[in-house]
Amino acid sequence: MKRFILAFIAAYIFIFLWGWLLNGVLLKDIYAQTPNLWRSQSEMMSLFHWIIIGQALIVFAFIMIYASGFAGGGVIAGIQLGVLVEIAAIGMRMGFYAVQPIPGKLILYGSVSGIIEMIIVGAIVGAIYKPLAARAS
Amino acid sequence: MNWKKFFIAFIAAFGFIFLFGFLWYGKLMHAAHQEVPTLWRTEADFGNHFSTLVFGHIVMALFLTLLCTRFVPAGGAGPCAMLGLLVALIYAGADMITFAVQPLTTKILWGWIVGDLIQFTIAGAIIGALYKAAPAHVTFVKEGPRQGV
Repeated sequence: MKRFILAFIAAYIFIFLWGWLLNGVLLKDIYAQTPNLWRSQSEMMSLFHWIIIGQALIVFAFIMIYASGFAGGGVIAGIQLGVLVEIAAIGMRMGFYAVQPIPGKLILYGSVSGIIEMIIVGAIVGAIYKPLAARAS
Repeated sequence: MNWKKFFIAFIAAFGFIFLFGFLWYGKLMHAAHQEVPTLWRTEADFGNHFSTLVFGHIVMALFLTLLCTRFVPAGGAGPCAMLGLLVALIYAGADMITFAVQPLTTKILWGWIVGDLIQFTIAGAIIGALYKAAPAHVTFVKEGPRQGV
């Protein structure tokens, strides 16, 4: 449980910082090309708790999946799971792109950075969370 | 891995995810989506991007099938439904973030979350029910003529 919480905190801090760096700084100009698709800055700030809850839910579910079926494999298994989860996210982004006039560049950059992000998240979780049996040996 | 069963499970998962998506998000939630019409492509534009939607569903079904077969090698509807539920939580988290940055209504947010939970739990159960690899301890040996009988 202690390892679960440690992995959660480490992965959450990384996802939060990465999300801010990517969406708040690096891709800012691309978001600005389609202002009608996004909330205003002040509106986003008033709904910021949804970002915190959403990211926490993603990290929680990721570690739950890892702990239930991948935990014996360490960092490599964590990275494998990260890649798999990012494949799912790419599928979801493609679905959004089909129904919303989101710039293609945003989908591409989001997917490339998403792969890097989830590989790092997987490595963090794999390095920190270890099942009891693995720790005993 | 049993590739024949994997392929059957993947096709069934894709069929279900696509059909459920059409009914839930396309039909049941149509009126809710129309409350924010500026967020969506026009009908004609959507038609031009339909192949992307299909491909996105293929990718999601492939991911879930790969995860189920890796996570629950023996298959089984229950464990894979549980995995599908955990996957749905990841999608629900992404929906919440989208809600914070896009002018969606709360009706849309909750519709998407409930849809994800139903869609991926059932898809996981379908994959688990169809993908049941033979137990590792069972070996099939071709029996030859017995000596001295």
